[in-house]
Parts: sequence; structure tokens; C-alpha cells
Amino acid sequence: MSKVNIEWTKMPIPRRRFLQGASALGLAAGAGAGFPISAWAEGSTLKSRTYADMRSLDPAFSQGVVDEEIHAPIYSKLIQYKPGREWGWQLDAAASVEQVDETHIKFSLRDDMGFTNGFGAMTAEDVKYSFERIIDDDLKSTNKPDWGPLDHVEVTGEREGVIVLKNAFQPLWSITLPYITGNIVSKKAFEEAGGKIETSAVAASGPYMHKSWEPKQKTTLVRNPDWKGEKAAFDEIQIFHIDDEKTAEIAFEAGELDFTRVSLASLDRLKSSPPEDSTVDEFPSLYYAWVGMNVENDKLKNKKLRQAIQHVIDVPSIMEAAYFGVAKPSTGIIAPGLAGHREASLVPAAQDLAKAQELLDESGAAGTKLAIDVLNKQANVTAAQIIQANLSQIGIELEVRLHEGATFWTLGDKSAGDQWKNVELLLNRFSMTPDPYYATAWFTCEQVGVWNWERICIDEFDKLHEAAQAEGDAGKRDAMYRRAQDLMEETGAYKFLTHEATPVIYRNSVKPALRPDGLPLLRYFAKA
Amino acid sequence: MLKYVGKRLALAAVIAALSVTLLFIIIHLIPGDPARTMLGPRATPELIADLQLRMGLDQPLPVQILIFFGNMLSGDLGMDMFSNRPVATIVFEQLPHTLALIFASIIWSAVLGIFLGCFSAVRRNSLADRLTGVLAVSFIAAPAFVIALYSLLFFAVELRWFPAIGAGEPGDIGDQLWHLVLPSFAIGLSWVGYIARLVRASMLEIMGEGHIRTARAFGLPEKWITYRYALRLAILPTITVIGVGMGFLLSAAVFAEIVFARPGLGKLVIDSITTRNYPVVMGSVLVSTILFVASTTLSDIVNALLDPRIRQSS
Repeated sequence: MSKVNIEWTKMPIPRRRFLQGASALGLAAGAGAGFPISAWAEGSTLKSRTYADMRSLDPAFSQGVVDEEIHAPIYSKLIQYKPGREWGWQLDAAASVEQVDETHIKFSLRDDMGFTNGFGAMTAEDVKYSFERIIDDDLKSTNKPDWGPLDHVEVTGEREGVIVLKNAFQPLWSITLPYITGNIVSKKAFEEAGGKIETSAVAASGPYMHKSWEPKQKTTLVRNPDWKGEKAAFDEIQIFHIDDEKTAEIAFEAGELDFTRVSLASLDRLKSSPPEDSTVDEFPSLYYAWVGMNVENDKLKNKKLRQAIQHVIDVPSIMEAAYFGVAKPSTGIIAPGLAGHREASLVPAAQDLAKAQELLDESGAAGTKLAIDVLNKQANVTAAQIIQANLSQIGIELEVRLHEGATFWTLGDKSAGDQWKNVELLLNRFSMTPDPYYATAWFTCEQVGVWNWERICIDEFDKLHEAAQAEGDAGKRDAMYRRAQDLMEETGAYKFLTHEATPVIYRNSVKPALRPDGLPLLRYFAKA
Repeated sequence: MLKYVGKRLALAAVIAALSVTLLFIIIHLIPGDPARTMLGPRATPELIADLQLRMGLDQPLPVQILIFFGNMLSGDLGMDMFSNRPVATIVFEQLPHTLALIFASIIWSAVLGIFLGCFSAVRRNSLADRLTGVLAVSFIAAPAFVIALYSLLFFAVELRWFPAIGAGEPGDIGDQLWHLVLPSFAIGLSWVGYIARLVRASMLEIMGEGHIRTARAFGLPEKWITYRYALRLAILPTITVIGVGMGFLLSAAVFAEIVFARPGLGKLVIDSITTRNYPVVMGSVLVSTILFVASTTLSDIVNALLDPRIRQSS
């Protein structure tokens, strides 16, 4: 399997990719490589947890990781994320995938793929329908951006086709095909259902199928009896929707969950005395948290003042107090393991008081009073208090303004009125997918007042963001994203904090299959 | 009696309408864009504008209120913009879980509380009375979330006697009752204390009244006097408190639903408010308000049925 897998960050991404998937898959299956071998046990149930309730079973309206945890076991894709510590992908419904040129990706489907409920074999028409419906303006799919420059899918045979892009798009291999928008649905089933579905599944194409959804409680998947691939390891997967991490930990300790993410606060306790028959594991996360400064705010138009703030914030202290020493300081918005990750930031993570004082003196803004807007989560509040203490060391009085979720997420929104003008400092955190393009997308000029609340607009940054999406040379792409982060930091408007961490706990009777960021790939979970 | 019931029902309708209007205004005045929250970061401005239009957010607030009441009167609580399901379906899916939790808590706490109250009253100033008093006050003083967490850790994690999360398998009444034990224990315990103290105080007051002395003078058995005459009157304030207590239990159910990862109306309201899912917020708040008003009205009517003085005074 390793031969057919193209690592996104470790190897240059060639202009042409050619995967002899069918033969490679056979070899890999024979060697037992790639993903865990199922125990074939009957009467088994896997109990996992998501942090929120399911929203939709339609990939076009999937709201992210929670829905995808449910979609991935029931829908097949051309390629899937490969479980492990390094980002990569492996073939799924595709027997082969070949990048013919920058804008054409040829694929052929396995001949043993089909849909439940009598909807027959999976064909290239299903692939065409699944991908093109996402970009159809009439459907109003919120996931349309993930399909980037898709033009159309050309069907060249019953199981063969070509994905045609308008221009080169590297995230296709890291976000589009192996994630939400890569799910293949049955054209016939969806058309019979009126073109879209809500929370009732119509046809599954993966090793599991949807059995039931108990709102605010759990979703149950069962083994797909029509699945011709490697037999699913569990008869049933129960996915409990538990928002509170502490509740999930108690449920795990009470024996009611087999796998869950745990809180950073509990990690030390769980590691030192783990519940019986369980394993605690840590994964780096892709999230990125930072302190942003609104450069159009009258007080923060002063670049020297912003730089003084950059140097006075002591990230290691924040890691200790707010993240319990588990998370590490970040160097930018792109996490380790992804193209564009920087080994070091321009401004060191640790405080440089002398430098900060010097910059403040140069700014002429001594004694300034500022405010930081913070989402009311414990880690944020603690971090804000440390930043408050840090700033007081150079005589800046910082007011901490707490907000609940929906209020916080409109603070910098220009369409919500003039409140963005009052934004000074922000403690912010964005989620991320395993491609750097997803990180830089929010800081372009077009995003000013949308999600770019620092309101920084750099022409070079925008050009880098555009060009890097299409750049096929991994080295060049890496350099582009590193430069983009340098540009962000040089404005003085950003102090990068952390990518956080994803600690998980699982029963020893379970062999989990996780993405490098610790998110579960339930279809590949097996019995230990 | 019919006149009394009519008056109470009319008043209940006015209270419900006012509460819902007030909540509608508050919810719409707090900042936060539901369309942006619902559609997530990848939504285009066009999609956001389209959703705002579909939710009627482009209309002035008074018009939105009128539309809401108009729809409500025709039995339409609107559509959940997240899942495209009718709000009424969503609310009535969650409601039975909350009702089961509230009624389970009320029933066991009322039975135990009334027993403890009577027990204390008939043994006034004895050691048993003092011990019961201490116990009742301790129950009142113990925060429900502390009880919830410790009962979880002890009964679910340590002893594994009861389940820690969920509401049980649909259709399996036994399993659902089993899942009710810890949450109803957590939110009902303080009510045992309240009811015990209330019943004791009422009993002592009633036991000193003339008709009880008369009954004793006639030589009726003490047990007969206590449970047949005194308790019947002493329980009246308890019924009122339980009626009002429905509101408190609805609030307490929120944390129980979070701590025990149970489905329910409280959790639905919290989730909907944080996502500014206005149709679901209004639908669930409307049902909660009706529940609260109905329970207080019902307790008033039961009081009137049991006590002719209330009927006559009204």
C-alpha cells in the first residue's frame, strides 16, 4: 500500500500521478498493510462519541467532522484518508486514480461496489452525480468551495470517468476527494428522494449502513450486508452525541464508550491512572489559535504597538496554564505534518520583555488601554488572563470581554454593523482540514470583514494563496505557504499560540483507526 | 368551580402569550446571526442572504412576532433550518424525555418528602425529628450538579449499577426507567428536603387547629387524625409548590440532560440558543412555557378542588 500512496508532505507531488490501485490494493490486502484486519467477530458493538449531534446524511449539507464521522462508514469515496501518524490516502471505491494532467483526473471504479436497498452497482454516473450536485448552484450546498474549480465529470465507461477541473487544484487530494465532498451517493436513490436527503439515509455504499438516529442522543450504524469488500469489524457502531467532554470521560470510565476524545485537563490523570483495560493516546491537532489585532482600530493602527504586544505575550505560560502543558506553541496557522509548516516563527513564542518595552517606547503608545474579545471557553479565559498579566508588564491595561458563541462569531463581521470597529485584540481559533490552502483562505483581502477580522490585506499574500492551490511542486508549495505566514506575522497583527492537541482514550479490546490529527475513521476500526 | 377553572385558564393563556412575546423579543435582540452560524464558515454571502430571507429575518420584529403567533395558532411552529425538519416534530421528540425526567423526580421526591414530613411532625422535637430535619436541610443545601457528578462517579463508574449516559433504548421501558434513576435522583433530592420541611410545618400548624382537637376529643385514633384530616390539609401548600416547582425542574433538567447526556427539551433550548436557531428556540420555549403555566394552573385547580375556601374566595 505504501507504494501506491502519495504522501502530501513527504514527497514532491508529481504533475502526473498514476496509481495501479487494483493490483496494489490486492497486494496490500494480502500483506495486511494499510489498515487493521478485522476480527470478524459476531455480536459486537463499537461505542464511539461525537461532540455534537448529526445534522444531515447528505454530503452536500454535511456540517464538518461530526457528520463526516457518520458519512465515512456509510458512503464510499474514490479515496479515503489512510489511518496513521502521517497524512496520506488510500484507494477506496476506486480501482485506480490517475492524474492525467493538471486538470484531468482519470478514475476507474472497483467492480464490487454497490448501493443498498436495491440501487445496484456503483457506476461512473453515480460519481458524476455525487460530485456535480455539490457545485450545482440550485442545490445551494455549503460545501461547494471544497470542490474548488471542478468543471464537470466526464463518464467514459460504465465504471470509468474523468474529473475535469477548470484549473489545477492541489487540495483535491487532501480535502476534496478523501473528505466530505468525496462521498459517492446513489444517483437513482437521491433522485427518487427529490435530489437531496435530510436525516434518513436512502442507500449506503460503505461497509456500514445507517440504522437509526435518536436526536440529541445517538446514531446507530449496522454492518452493510451487501458490502463486498473486507467485512466490517463490528455488527453495530453506536455513535453517541455528547457535547460535554467530562461527561464523555465519565461514560468511558463507566464502560459505556469504547472510544472518545478526552479533555486536556484530564489527560494527566488519565495517563497516570488509566481506567482498566484502556489506552490513552495523544495526537497533534490541526486547529490553530492565535491573538489577532484589528489593524483598522484607531489604537492598533500603530504597528510598533502591535509588535510590542507580539513580543510581550508569553506563549509557554499560556500552554502551561490554559492547555495544562499538553499543547505546544505553534509557529503559524499551518500545523506540523502539512505543507507550509514553519519550524520557527519570526517572533519567538516566549516573551521578550526588553524588546516589547523598546517597541512600546518607540510606538509612543505607553499607557494605552486595550480590550481582548474572547469566546467563553475555559482555556480561552485562562489564556486571556495570562495575556492580561503579560501586557500589564509593559503598562498596558487589558480588559477581557467574554462572549458566548453566536455573539463572538459575529464580532468582526462587517455585515453585522459597525461593531467590528470596536474589535481590538481577539483570541481566536479556527478549525482546519489537512491542506494549507484551508488555513490561508481566511486571511485574504476578500475575507476582510468576513473571517479576516485583523483586516489585513496584503496583495502578495493573496497571490501566494492563489498560486499555491495550483502548485504541483511540493517544495515550491511549501515555501509559498511559509512565506504567506511570514507576511502575516510581519504585519504585527498576529501572535500565534498553538495547534492544541487531541488526546483520545480507547478500550484495549478495540484497535482504533485514526487520522494523524486523532479524528476517528470508524470504518477502519477493528477488534484488537 | 367551572367559573374558577375558566378564569384560571384565561389567565394562563395571557401569561403564556406574554412570556413567549417577551422571549421572542429578547432572543431577537441579542447579537448573533443565525444564518451565518447555521451555514458555517464556507457559506457564501448569497447563501446567507437566502437563508435570512427564508427565516423571515428581513422582516421587522413586530411582523416576525405576528407571523410566529399566526403560524402557531394554525399549529405550525416552523421549520428547523439546520435539519429542514418541522420544529413541532423536533420538540415533541424531545419533550417525552424531559417530562419523564421531571415526573420521575417529582414523584419520588414527593413520596419521600411527604413521608419524612409526616414522620417528623408526629415525632415533633424527638431525636428522629431532629435527624430528619438535618437530613432535609442537607438535601436542600446540596447543589444538584454536585449530587449528579458524585452519583455518576459512585453508582455508574465505581459500582456500575446504573448507566451513566443516554435515555435508554427506544421502546424498552425497563431500560428507559433504568436510565432515569440517576438523573431523577440528582434533580429530585433537594425537593425531598423542601417537601419534607413544608409538610412538617404545615402538619404542625394543622395539628394545632380546633377541628383536630375536636377529633381528638371524640377519641378518633391518632393515625386516622394525622393521615385522614391533618395531612389532607397540610398537603395543599405542597401541591402549589410542586406546581411552581415544575418550572424549576425544567431548568434543572437542562443540566441533568447535559451531565447525563440525555436528550430533552432543556438541551434542545440551550443548543438552539447558542446557534441562534430561532424557530427551534421559539418552539421549545413555547412548549416549556405552556408546560409551566399548565402545571401551576393545574395545581391551583387541584387546590380549589381540595379546599372549598379557595373556590369560595375566588
